Amino acid sequence: MSSKNTNSNIDYSLIFIVLLLAIVSCFTLYTLGNYLPEKYSNTNFMLQQIKWYIVGSMAIVVIMFIDYDRLRQVVWILYGIGIILLTMLFFHFPPGIAKEVNGAWGWFNIPGLGTMQPAEFMKIFLIIALAQILVSHEERFKNRTNKSDIWLLAKIMIISLPPMGLIAVQPDLGSFLVLAFITFCMILVSGIRWRVILTLVGFSIIMVGTVVLLYVYNPEVVDNFTEDFGFEHVESRFQGWLDPYEYGKSGGYQLIRAMMSIGSGQLFGKGIQGFEVPNIPERHTDMIFTAIAEQFGFIGASFVITLLFLLIYRLIHIALRSNDQFGSFLVSGMIGMFTFQIFQNIGMSVQLLPITGLPLPFVSYGGSSILTYLIAIGIVLNINYRTKEYMFD
Amino acid sequence: MGKKKKKRTQLPFRLNILFLIVFALFSILILQLGVVQILNGEEAQEEIDKTVNTSSKISVPRGKMYDRFGRIILDNEPLRAITYTPPKGGDTADDRLDIAKKLAEFIVIGENTDESNELNEMVKERDKKEYWYLLNKSEVRDRLTPEQLELSNSEQYQEMLEEITTEDLAELDWSDSLLNIIAIKKELDKAYELSPHVIKGEDVTEEEYAKVSEHLYDLPGIDASIDWKRKVVYGSTFRSYIGGITSSNEGIPSENRDFYLTRGYSRNDRVGESGLEQQYESILRGRKEVVQYTTDKSGNIVGSEPVVDGQRGSDLILTIDMELQQAVDQIVQEELQTAVEKHPYQNRYLEDALVAMMNPKTGEVLALSGVRHNKETNEYEDHSFRVIYDAHRPGSAIKGASVLAGLDSGVIYPGEPIYDTCVKIAGTQPKCSWMNLGSINDINALKRSSNVYMFHIAMRMGGGVYRHNDKLRGFDDDGFRLMRNYFSQFGLGVETGIDLPYEGTGFKGDIEFNAAGKLMDFNIGQFDTFTTLQLAQYASTIANDGYRVRPHLLKEVRQPVADKNELGPIAQSVNTEVLNKIEMDDGYIDRVQEGFRRVMQENQGTAVNYFGEAPYNSYKPAGKTGTAENEIYQDGRLVAHVENLSLVGYAPYDDPEIAFAIVVPNNGIIEGGGQHPINHMIGRKILDKYFELKAERAKNGVNLELKQEAVQDKDAETEQE
Repeated sequence: MSSKNTNSNIDYSLIFIVLLLAIVSCFTLYTLGNYLPEKYSNTNFMLQQIKWYIVGSMAIVVIMFIDYDRLRQVVWILYGIGIILLTMLFFHFPPGIAKEVNGAWGWFNIPGLGTMQPAEFMKIFLIIALAQILVSHEERFKNRTNKSDIWLLAKIMIISLPPMGLIAVQPDLGSFLVLAFITFCMILVSGIRWRVILTLVGFSIIMVGTVVLLYVYNPEVVDNFTEDFGFEHVESRFQGWLDPYEYGKSGGYQLIRAMMSIGSGQLFGKGIQGFEVPNIPERHTDMIFTAIAEQFGFIGASFVITLLFLLIYRLIHIALRSNDQFGSFLVSGMIGMFTFQIFQNIGMSVQLLPITGLPLPFVSYGGSSILTYLIAIGIVLNINYRTKEYMFD
Repeated sequence: MGKKKKKRTQLPFRLNILFLIVFALFSILILQLGVVQILNGEEAQEEIDKTVNTSSKISVPRGKMYDRFGRIILDNEPLRAITYTPPKGGDTADDRLDIAKKLAEFIVIGENTDESNELNEMVKERDKKEYWYLLNKSEVRDRLTPEQLELSNSEQYQEMLEEITTEDLAELDWSDSLLNIIAIKKELDKAYELSPHVIKGEDVTEEEYAKVSEHLYDLPGIDASIDWKRKVVYGSTFRSYIGGITSSNEGIPSENRDFYLTRGYSRNDRVGESGLEQQYESILRGRKEVVQYTTDKSGNIVGSEPVVDGQRGSDLILTIDMELQQAVDQIVQEELQTAVEKHPYQNRYLEDALVAMMNPKTGEVLALSGVRHNKETNEYEDHSFRVIYDAHRPGSAIKGASVLAGLDSGVIYPGEPIYDTCVKIAGTQPKCSWMNLGSINDINALKRSSNVYMFHIAMRMGGGVYRHNDKLRGFDDDGFRLMRNYFSQFGLGVETGIDLPYEGTGFKGDIEFNAAGKLMDFNIGQFDTFTTLQLAQYASTIANDGYRVRPHLLKEVRQPVADKNELGPIAQSVNTEVLNKIEMDDGYIDRVQEGFRRVMQENQGTAVNYFGEAPYNSYKPAGKTGTAENEIYQDGRLVAHVENLSLVGYAPYDDPEIAFAIVVPNNGIIEGGGQHPINHMIGRKILDKYFELKAERAKNGVNLELKQEAVQDKDAETEQE
């Protein structure tokens, strides 16, 4: 087993892309400085973000020293921790530490450390757990049959549905959709045969279609259902998305402001700090893309999207390059996570998707998310680092 | 490393599919971004640049009030004012503090002197905390716990203010000049966007006004302008009917906020809250000037254009004759004083004397006068509102209504003689006239004020059959309802309809027990109570051949004109409104009128001694006197028996032009007579005055220069504080 020079196994282009995104993030937060609501006037978000990047980078370094294969040994512990944390949030436990923001019970407020959002970490834990399931299934069933495929599908569902459910009831629509997309990507790469996958996709389309038709023809039923199950906010988000001007006061407000801000950036943008649309909520976190698009226009916004695309491209490259199934599955999960987050975050500010509370990876301000994504990058780098290229492959 | 087994060929393929999906998703993003930014970008920019038009309403002075001859009663006095108009969206607290600091160099809003602590009282602890907060924002914020930081902005602000301790406040030197700044800022805080708010009105000195005017360029939103305040020309005369307005600090009454807001009022508008100011608010308020401001996206005003020209409120011409009003006030006060001073002990409960005078044909009210003797200060105060508020038992004065009811219901026939001797019903005290009057008919029953005649009408009205010293048989309580219904046709016991926000209608006694006895009392004015104005309307109705007209204080509405000394053209004039016509034979009314005439003109008439001689007989007065027994209770204990003296009437009886009612409650009873005949004396003198003025005006025209008592409107004074 000979390998190439180990140095070349560190994917510098990936690091470079992340570094560029970090610069974009910190610079944008810097420009936003005085334009945020007064209640944030005492926080320097740029410095905080730099701090989190440094913490995350140290995490990457630590991760690099440990063979990612070890994850297979601790996967169920991590998964268990994630589920326990989410369950605690479900019971609003422990009181005073479990915290509600905008109606969603999704945070722990740890005295001295700040806030922590278990749903973020759960994304990584779920990816590892699913990768583990896929690999061990692969090892047991050498030959694919319908039966084994369905069994695998069942196992995937058993693993992914509990965290999805717990996050859905927080309620956190965005993270729920991220987990769903991760699961979908993992199923896609799992090797389950097309007929099974297509059946699954078809079934999902029918389900979603039914709800949409119900909403169009009999909105009351949907109203009652969402009210009974505490998902009014989901409905109002959808209404705000479909008709922002009609629902301008509630669900549509954020969208109208965001579209105005992004749109007015036009092709070249208004230049640094050329903000003209005040009162965009969460502009330093979930709505940070509006700040980039307004200042630097279509060109700047496309540049950021391109950077993010290159990031995904590097991940695909690493997944393809890895000759270890566990590694490939892990990276596939990461791809699903990043892709959906990026698509959802940018998509919601240009009216492609309803508004949800999801950060833009590496750009939005937020300790939990930066840490999570840098850990994810760490794992990916680790996988790449330990990929042995066979001379005569 | 056993894990390095060959991947299946499927995985790269599936990964490529995944990449395809990713590529598709990112393409959609870029595409949509292009649509939003390049295709619709200009639209979005226009949306942002769109200037916002907001309109602002600028208050205009209220209409004035004049008496029937055009003598001004209620005027507007212009006064210098420093105002503040916040921009669209308002200034921030820091901006306001800045303005306050600059403004404080020029104006002083309150002063602490040796006698007063005006400034200290103006600036509350909370205001000091707000100021301290502005200086130490970040420090205060740091004191909040993470939980508090999650609160809404306004809750957070509250919490922060609570975090500020007295030690913190002690850091600063609260000098008078600093307090002045804070007091000014406090005023600035009260203003609503785009609506001018008076920062200092009442006593802006010429110097202050000039200094602020010079520095307007440096004081955004501040203006040195002219405000107005109400000025009552005749002091307390008729003051309670003119009414008052709210101050701009009080603004529109909160209980009717929506009513006013939907009619275009701002929250700090002054509105009438009592009397005619309230009654005719819609006429007096005028039309506000509406200015449309064009603001750019950051709220700066880039242009203004008047949309609606303002017009000050229309003026009211009242029916009141101010000269007569002043004279009547004077007469009432003098007579009351005479009565009180003549028998100070017996008259210890005598406080009020009330007079209402109106034109019986048109309902125009000429004078409403009420004087109260303040027992503690021994002063005579204007309580003219009591004419429409306070109700008293009038005594025999209402017998005209009793007789008409008897005639119309048919229980007595015209000219029916009844033998006047005490009515005695088994088991009750006998009820008598003031003396046995012998056989007497309806007209003379009025002339000599027979109670017994009225008792019989009462008993018959209920269908009762009277036998001396026997039980009254067959009396139906429904008689009471019938009787009250007759009375209400004269305005007794119902609203007179006067154009004021409130009037009393008197108290209706409970008839549960011994209704027959109570109806007998009712018929001689000893049961239900009535206001003086109700009695005046009753006298008018008899004078006016049974037509009950609505008394009114408003004569005309005049359009506002610029010239201060001229009245504008008539916008509206108030016509005589007949509320009802007594539905009965005119012959019956003639009999009552004749009875009233005899009271004052014929021998044995109860008031002939006062009105039968010259010059009073030349006025041809007719009327009815009344004396009602009354009791004074203190803490539920009967302390004194007193008499209400009343007189209603009109003149001249062949073509009435004036009707009046006089009520003087709670006169002491003087053993052996000798009580000052206050009701008659007032009656004589007001008739005297009325006809004297009439003759004088016929000769020399109306005297428009009355003695004025320019006492500043109390409300107007406070409103500028």
